[in-house]
This record gives sequence, structure tokens and C-alpha cells, in this order.
Amino acid sequence: MNVSSTSLAPGRVRARARSGRRGRRSAVLLFALPALVLYTVFTIGPMASVFVVSTREWTSIISPSSFVGLANYKRMLADDVFWQACINTLIQLAAIIPVMLPLSFMLAYYLTRKPAGHQVLRVILFTPALISLAAKSMIFLAIFAPSGLFNAVLSAVGLADFELPWLADPHTALVTVIAVELWGGIGYTAVLFAARLGSIDPEVFEAAQLDGAGHLRQIWQIAYPIARDYFGVLTMLEFVGVLFSSAGTILLLTRGGPGYASTTLSYLVYSKAFLTFQIGYSQAVGVVLFVLGVLGIVVIRRAFRTES
Amino acid sequence: MARTKSRTRLSPVSHILAWAYGLLLVIPLYFLVISSFKDNTEIFSEPFALPRSWLPDNFVAAWETAVLGPGLLNSALITGGAELVSILVAVPAAFAIARSTGVLSALTERFFAAGLLIPAFAALVPTMLLAIAVGLFQTREFLVLFLAASVMPLSVLLLTQFMRTIPPELEESASMDGAGTGRILMSIYAPLTMPGIATVLILNFLTFWNEYLFTLSLLGPDVTLRTSQVALPGLVSQGYTEYGILLAGCLITMVPVYLVYILLQRHVEGALLQGAIKS
Repeated sequence: MNVSSTSLAPGRVRARARSGRRGRRSAVLLFALPALVLYTVFTIGPMASVFVVSTREWTSIISPSSFVGLANYKRMLADDVFWQACINTLIQLAAIIPVMLPLSFMLAYYLTRKPAGHQVLRVILFTPALISLAAKSMIFLAIFAPSGLFNAVLSAVGLADFELPWLADPHTALVTVIAVELWGGIGYTAVLFAARLGSIDPEVFEAAQLDGAGHLRQIWQIAYPIARDYFGVLTMLEFVGVLFSSAGTILLLTRGGPGYASTTLSYLVYSKAFLTFQIGYSQAVGVVLFVLGVLGIVVIRRAFRTES
Repeated sequence: MARTKSRTRLSPVSHILAWAYGLLLVIPLYFLVISSFKDNTEIFSEPFALPRSWLPDNFVAAWETAVLGPGLLNSALITGGAELVSILVAVPAAFAIARSTGVLSALTERFFAAGLLIPAFAALVPTMLLAIAVGLFQTREFLVLFLAASVMPLSVLLLTQFMRTIPPELEESASMDGAGTGRILMSIYAPLTMPGIATVLILNFLTFWNEYLFTLSLLGPDVTLRTSQVALPGLVSQGYTEYGILLAGCLITMVPVYLVYILLQRHVEGALLQGAIKS
């Protein structure tokens, strides 16, 4: 909830709000009503009803539902697919978060040193942010196809033995999906970090250089402590994004397969609701995601809280 | 990346790593463009070579097979509708938060700030049930309202930031001239917030145009309703996929985004940065 105040200048905003220069005009808040209603009806309301839906069952998507208590949760906990999805989600988080954030941060430091060509590199790092999920998935579908670009490169460099149907092999499907998620993410996050690092007074780094600090030390002992709050915010956003948002990519790349090899909790929510029409079960998984999300945010906020 | 001897220079290793990653980003895009002019045999036998011919056959085939004409039209209608609704609702809300004081205003701001952390995906299934309950399942109208709602937190907060930079003196002199609140919004705040409105429009354009999962779930695969994003994966067939046609379809759906990017490059980058930093 404090996200905004960690990255902005909250003091200034609050001081102004308290100054009361424009005071006694709360009627103007009526102007915020349409936005509040729209957001509540279409986002907060549905979000809250996830809990209700998880205690009901539908026989079909348009027929009325009935209350089944915790039956969906029991079914979920007894389902091997659910546990496999938990493991896959953990793998996904463990593979993406500790890789993406430090690499992006180092790349951002590289950009802020303004080496030759950094502007071109910046544009390159930005472009994946413009490509839609569907188009990105289709491009990688072609790249990782059995006779696609990736295998062609492997055989060109003499590694033909390692050619695989990457998205169709149970050992590589999840890893391939993770690679696709990492592909553009590192660059985009780096550009965001670079914007934050760019606001650090260059003299800070110059002083460190005079003391003989190398670049790695400047990154982790000078830039990082200064940008720590922002690092925490991006870690949180990335965590929530990875936890919740892989359903689309997985639907388009592997459909959770082969078998359930690349089924994550996010994709399980989607597939249970839309492919097998077990809506209540799907939302029981949704509740698990929600709890994991809140837990993760609390832990990350703790970890990045600045001692003061 | 060992310490460099020179104080200001980056080590060669860091240059190599940074540009290797850059290359990793560019190669798929190069592959996308050249492959969209090839057939499967040519894609697989000479993946890096320039196409033997630059005939637009694949583009024609993608356009016809995926019915991209109506798809692009639906994308445009939905994007345009959602842009209109979101701006009409977010501008007054930002105005209200920037201008009023007190607990309620602070609470409203916090409400939207908390919303930034909530991924829309969490509410996918109940949103579909809501659409069914109000009789708007598989209609563009529902999707427009939903998409506009989903961008409220960021839009309102960004616009609030911009409106806070407007000096209150401007408004005081206007209210002395007898202008009502609505007129102050329309004649002072809205025009002066134009850069902010442009930022929000660009950011939301990318979100709306590129949206896939909600559009698929709420609108369905009906050819007359579906957007270009939902139509695109239809070019993948269970049996034999023509990758050249698929990738040509990708390029077609990407044209509007890249047009906006080329025309407004600075603004698009600024918008994406502000969107992420202000959150």
C-alpha cells in the first residue's frame, strides 16, 4: 500500500495536502466517484468474490451454482496436478526473480555510465515492451519449433545432438517458458533501474572511483543502497507479475504440457475455469495464489525495509 | 567483471555481455521480419538468410486466414472506446484528488495506490461471471468498461501527479471570476495537464491494443467480435503450421504499435518509464 510513498517524494505531497490552502472543498471529491465506482465494480468486486466463488460449484458455465463449502479445497489438496503446479510456480519464481533483478540492475548501471552506443542499446532494450503477449508467444513458437531457429543454431555450431522439441519435451517445456519470460524482462527492468540510477549525483561515483572502488563494488555498495527502495518495489512488482501472469504465455506456448510439465498455478486457474469448467476449483487455486501473493509482498517489503 | 585498471572505463567483459544481450533481443525480431517472407522449407533450411523473394504472399494469406480485417477493426473499436472511457473518468478523479484535502482524498489516493499491486488476472474468472450475470458476456461494451477499469489506478495516480504541479493561484483567480468547479477543471486543469493526458493515453494504448487473455475470455473466439490479438494464434494449426504466414500475421498486428512508437518515440519511452516509476 505504501508503494507510491516509497518511490515518490511523499513529504512534499503530504505537506501540500495538509497545508489546507485549498481546504474545505471535499465536495470536489464527487468527481472521483465515477472512477471509484468503475474500479470497484470491475476489479475490486470480482477480486473479492474469488473467495465466494471458491466455495461454490457450477455444473456448466451458464447454470446456477450451489454452495459446496470446502469441497473444492479438499479436491485441490488431493490433486497431484495442483502440487505439480505449486512446484512449477516455485521453480519459475526461483529462476526468474534472483536472475532478472540483479542482472537488470547491473545492466542499468552499465547504461548510466553512458558507454558508446548506450542510446542505441536503450532503444533495443525497450522494444520487447511494445510486443504483445500473443505476438511474442508466436515468435517463440516458431523459434523453439522442432525445426525452428534455435535448433538450427545448435546444429550450425555443432551441437546437433542437443536438438530438442523444446516446448514439447517434458524436461524442457517449463524452462523454455521461463526463458521466454526472461527474454525481454531483463532489458525492460534495466531501463527502469537506469532511470532511477540516473538521478544519483555522479559525484558519488567519482568519489568512490578515487577511493579505488571497482565497478562491481560501485554497483553493490554504492548504487544499490541508494536505490534499495526502488529495488524493493520492482522486486515486488516482478514477483506479483510472475506469480499471477504466466497463464497467457503458457496457454499460447505449451497449454501447460506436455502432461502437466509446464502447468503453473496461474495457468491452472485459467485451465480449470475455461478448459474443464471446474470454476469453483479454479478459484480455490486463485485463493492460494492470492495468499502466496500477499505473503510474498510482506516478505519482500521486510527484506527491503531500510533501517531507520 | 574484474576491476578495471582505468578508473572510468568499463571492462570489455561488461561491453560484451551487454551487447550480447542486446543481440539476443534483436535476433528474434530479425528472424520475425525475414521469416514472414519465407515458406517453411526456407525458414528451416536458411533461418538467417534474407528471403529469396519479397513477395507479400504470406501477408495476404495471414490477412485472409485469420480474418485480420475485422480483427483489426475490433481492436481499434475496443482500444478507442476504452481510451475514451478511461480518460473521461480518470481526469475528473485525478482533479478531485489533487485539489481536495482531508482524509477522504488521502484514502482515495491510497485506494488506487493499493490497486497498482493487484494483478488484473486475479479477478479473471469472477469478471467473466459478472459479464454473464449482467447479460454482457461476449460483448465489446463489457470489455471496454473492464479494460478502462483495469487501468484506473495508474491513470488516476499519474494524472494526479501532473495536476499537483499546477499552481493553485491560477485556480483562485478563476474562482474569483465566478467559474464553477466543472469549468475550472475544463478550462484550467485539463488543458494544462495535456502532457500527462498524452502519457496516459500512450500507456493505455499499449495495454489495450496488446491485451490477450481477458479479451479471449470475455469476448470469445467469434470471428466478428474477436480482436487481432485473439485472431493471431488461430494461425497455429494442430497439424501443420505455416510459420511464415503466422509471423506475417504477427507483423500486421504490430504495425499500429510501431507506427505510434516511431511517431512518438520519446513520448512512448517517457510514458512507459513514468508508468513504472510512479508506481
